[in-house]
Amino acid sequence: MQVLLSGLAIGAIYGLVAMGFAIAFYVTRVINFAEGQLLMVGVMVAAWFARTGLDPWIAIVLGILAAAAVGAVTYLVAVRPVLAFDRFSFAWLVSTLGVALILENGAALVWGPTSRSFPALLTGTSVHVGSATLTLQEVVTIGVAIAAAIGFELYRRRTLFGKLGMAIAHDPEMATALGANTVLVATAAFALAGAFAGLAGVLIGPITYSNPYLGDTYGIAGFVALMIGGTSRPAAAMAGGLLLGILGEAANKLIDTQASDWFPFVVVVVMLLVLPEGLLSLAAPFRRAVRRARAPAGATG
Amino acid sequence: MSANALDLRGLRAGYGRYDVLRDVDLQVAPGEAVGLLGPNGAGKTTLLRAVMGLVKHRTGVISIAGTDVVRMPAHKIARGLAALVPEGRRLFVDQPIEDNLLLGALHLRRDKARVSELLESVYALFPVLRDVRNRPAGALSGGQQQMVAIGRMLMSDPTVLLLDEPSLGLAPIAIGEVAEALERLREEGRSILVVEQRVDLALRMCDRIYVLAGGEVALEEQARALGEDGRALIDAYLG
Repeated sequence: MQVLLSGLAIGAIYGLVAMGFAIAFYVTRVINFAEGQLLMVGVMVAAWFARTGLDPWIAIVLGILAAAAVGAVTYLVAVRPVLAFDRFSFAWLVSTLGVALILENGAALVWGPTSRSFPALLTGTSVHVGSATLTLQEVVTIGVAIAAAIGFELYRRRTLFGKLGMAIAHDPEMATALGANTVLVATAAFALAGAFAGLAGVLIGPITYSNPYLGDTYGIAGFVALMIGGTSRPAAAMAGGLLLGILGEAANKLIDTQASDWFPFVVVVVMLLVLPEGLLSLAAPFRRAVRRARAPAGATG
Repeated sequence: MSANALDLRGLRAGYGRYDVLRDVDLQVAPGEAVGLLGPNGAGKTTLLRAVMGLVKHRTGVISIAGTDVVRMPAHKIARGLAALVPEGRRLFVDQPIEDNLLLGALHLRRDKARVSELLESVYALFPVLRDVRNRPAGALSGGQQQMVAIGRMLMSDPTVLLLDEPSLGLAPIAIGEVAEALERLREEGRSILVVEQRVDLALRMCDRIYVLAGGEVALEEQARALGEDGRALIDAYLG
């Protein structure tokens, strides 16, 4: 029970970062390799504002907003120009990695390379669930992550803007020919992806403290969670994160206390070999059957 | 005198460094249906894409109802000036039919009454779509998908309708249904520019015909002057 719940708590963080990767990819077909550093921006900015004496809750909101703003700027500065030059190039791979390095080293220059305190609002309270014990912070993290995944999925499926995102993901040129400002939507997607990373940052901050190199660890874990969940639906990335968290905690318990450092890589190799399109591909035969059942009889040209 | 629904003068456009269209002059009067014919590679699709702002414009004028759209971004042209039914339809196949239609009215989203009115007019034109409106677009037959593509175009309430090979890949019955719908739109006084490989269909649906060859206008003629089957036209330009 303890492994399961602790795994869900850390997996929720991986899942939020993975959803950030997935949201940006969903609309633009670009992996933002600075996603982990956006988590770090959320943590560092929130911690800095809190240290200035600002109310910690306001500092946390500002941290999330800062991560969203940096996400939007990343699209406008590092992704859009390279796609404008060549729509089919993969130059964004290098440019977003460049942004990651700039953010990481920039944060180290501004705030120093060592860990600083982060407002510990909920870590002092314990919650008992059966035989397991979690901090209130961990319980809130699981709840917020699941609510964010469900909220995003409802938004994607039920609102015109969400459907527009699906249309842009499917055929960006046709979406443009229907009046969609694809640059605006892509910028918004990167901002939302940044907000998800920032949210993950302020949820993990009380445990890890603020550190400019946090982005490496959580960026890699989030990317692995994305590979597990698959890129076809952002909410599946959350499932990938939760699963990765549980497997990592189980590895810590059963193999070695440091096993969660290397175990994700074993998981991702197995996933890429067995289910290269992610967990959701398991449901593909079911979806095909439903589609066949819905198709009109004798549908031809 | 009112401005043409579509007015192209001296249009040059193409991809990369290659000019596909060379000094094309073409007009569509308000309420007129114009057919664009030509062999493969003549530049017919490129012309429609240039009007929509999807192809690099080099020189010349593109004007829709008197509005110069040369420097206008594609997504703004699509907001009530021109709408396109592309070759192959390019529906959002995983999304329900009604969502595909509503995405056509993106710029009208704040005017819910107008959107409902347009949706009703599409269902009046293609009653079969009303019954299947919650199905994914990809689950429809080719003919029904073409109806959705035409409906999606109409949802933006555009000044000029652009259709790229609406009969392509359809069964004969479906072609008949689509042609009938286009004739109804023509009777309603819509301004239409349609690229069509089937000459008989183009002559039936259109008031005037342009033939494009090698990126240039090779012929402009009233449809009725070309006979019912357009045999002479086919022999001269399309054989």
